[in-house]
Amino acid sequence: MADDVVVVCRQLSRIYDDDGVPVNALDGVDFDVTRGDFVSLAGPSGSGKSTLLNLIGGLDEPTSGNVVVDGTNLADLDQSQRSDLRLNKIGFVFQSYNLIPVLTARENVEFIMQLQGVHAAERHRRAIDMLSSLGIGDLGDRRPGELSGGQQQRVAVARAIVTHPVLLLADEPSANLDSKTTEGLLDLLRTINREHGVTIITATHDPMVMSYARRRVHLKDGRIESDERAGALTV
Amino acid sequence: MKMPLILLLQLGWRNLWRQRRRNFMLLAAILVAVGGVVLINSLIRGFQYDMMEDAVENLTGHVKVLAPGYRDDPSIVQGFELADGWQPSVPTAELEGWTRRVRVPAVVMSERETRGLNLVGIDPADERDLSFLGTVAMSGERLRDADDSHIVLGRELLTQLDTKVGRRVVVITQGADGLNREAGFRVIGAFDAEGTALEKAFAFTGRTALQRLLDTDAVTEISVRLTDDAHSAEASAELARELPSLQVMDWRQLEPLAAAMFEYSDAAIFVWFLIVMIALAFGLVNTLITAVMERVREFGMLRAIGMRPGQIVLQVLVESTLVMLLGLGGGVVLGMGLVAYFADGIDLSAWAQGVEMAGLRSVLVPRLMAEDVVLVTTLSLVLGLLGSAYPAWRAVSVKPLDALRRGT
Repeated sequence: MADDVVVVCRQLSRIYDDDGVPVNALDGVDFDVTRGDFVSLAGPSGSGKSTLLNLIGGLDEPTSGNVVVDGTNLADLDQSQRSDLRLNKIGFVFQSYNLIPVLTARENVEFIMQLQGVHAAERHRRAIDMLSSLGIGDLGDRRPGELSGGQQQRVAVARAIVTHPVLLLADEPSANLDSKTTEGLLDLLRTINREHGVTIITATHDPMVMSYARRRVHLKDGRIESDERAGALTV
Repeated sequence: MKMPLILLLQLGWRNLWRQRRRNFMLLAAILVAVGGVVLINSLIRGFQYDMMEDAVENLTGHVKVLAPGYRDDPSIVQGFELADGWQPSVPTAELEGWTRRVRVPAVVMSERETRGLNLVGIDPADERDLSFLGTVAMSGERLRDADDSHIVLGRELLTQLDTKVGRRVVVITQGADGLNREAGFRVIGAFDAEGTALEKAFAFTGRTALQRLLDTDAVTEISVRLTDDAHSAEASAELARELPSLQVMDWRQLEPLAAAMFEYSDAAIFVWFLIVMIALAFGLVNTLITAVMERVREFGMLRAIGMRPGQIVLQVLVESTLVMLLGLGGGVVLGMGLVAYFADGIDLSAWAQGVEMAGLRSVLVPRLMAEDVVLVTTLSLVLGLLGSAYPAWRAVSVKPLDALRRGT
């Protein structure tokens, strides 16, 4: 695998059992992502975009095929090793933010570094720097319940990238945000992608999110229907 | 990857305050259960040690030395002599006191009634720290010394003999030569013991006065009281080496019923505690399962961002341990407060007859023992951890993706 490829999916299939009826959520998908890319996975509900994102993040297991992230084949990892991989190489941004409600914004950002064993002074400094760079430095001492949706999503992004992951996975990051806040979030993701070189994959319905991506992959019925880059249709 | 304990404690502590009402109720349940267990354990201990002290103080001592045939034929014929200046070879620090006595069966007669009893010749000074005679309530006078030839009877016996302090009674017993001895004694005092059994069973006079009546220098028993029952076995062995021709028995052998009750009390404390704590553990499991199920989505998110399943389990265990520690701490303080409140004892005299039949004193004084508090806290923590293991397992048995899809 070339060094500039972060994600490699080969013949990836995922069949769910829906009350005894097999549902083909993903059907033999081949999908690569190069380092530093900004990819949006689009498609209608049930097209397989979230399934693909979850398989790349190791949150789900394929029925067949395999996923390699930054040179590591996920099939070779047990649950704890997958947790370690997510901790050190993958950042997640969820639709509903999923911050820890009993921790402040700063502590939420520090939390993941605590898991990594980063020294207290350093993680404190990095958390404050990260929140400041995302424009919410003055909200560090507030708990998630005291923040707006947009502010919570920024904290979630800060938590996801503070550990310098090679890959940022965002599942419907704009679903609970208004258009202005979404625009701010997407500007932020683009900056992170361009300035920090973080590879971003989003699963989204939102055309605005798609418009920020450099590569737009459209899925339908568990297969890649189109794969276009910067205005050019490639599949 | 090792998860910092401080992080677990920080999360655990804050999560405690998320469901304040529920956690308060759980804490209150643990607090009341532990406080109640501490108090009840202390009362059982009080009963247990009262029973042992009664057995020891009722002329038994922790260890007693007898002639081998005395228990089958408790007469002066089964007496033995001690060398002048003899002292038991028990370390001074372990020895509360000791005495030699002459105890013989006798018949005591007043002008109107006759009763059988044990006539005991004592050294009054020795008995002060040794037997119930040192503390028992008396009407009239106490015996002055071992040479005192008066007699002290129990209050109940005095009633049965239809006589009173100051009058004379006649005692008939068997002398060392096998012939009957008969002598008149003036009653100088009546003792008022816990219950009437002792009052009916014993009469006391001076030891050397009784020896003169029996025409002997022998005694029938040596009674040794120790500072702690734990020294009984060692002291028994030492006395058996020192007096090989005599029979050395501890209070457990001499009072087997009391000894059995003493052992049963240990078991009762354990069984009572287990019943309460297992019931509490079910409540803990139920509450924790509810708490865990409410947070399945959060646990899914934690796993998604890199927390290992084992770390999630550890977090749930830390949270339940914190609840248990808070409840235990409060419960122990509550229990100690209750023990302090009842420090003067619970008056059971209203049920005097039943109390005597049960072997209880009329005032039950709780006895708080450090080992019981340690047992309660340790076993509660173990049970709490065992009870939390299932909810903790439930917390990680849901796949992270399924957990994330669940509503909050």
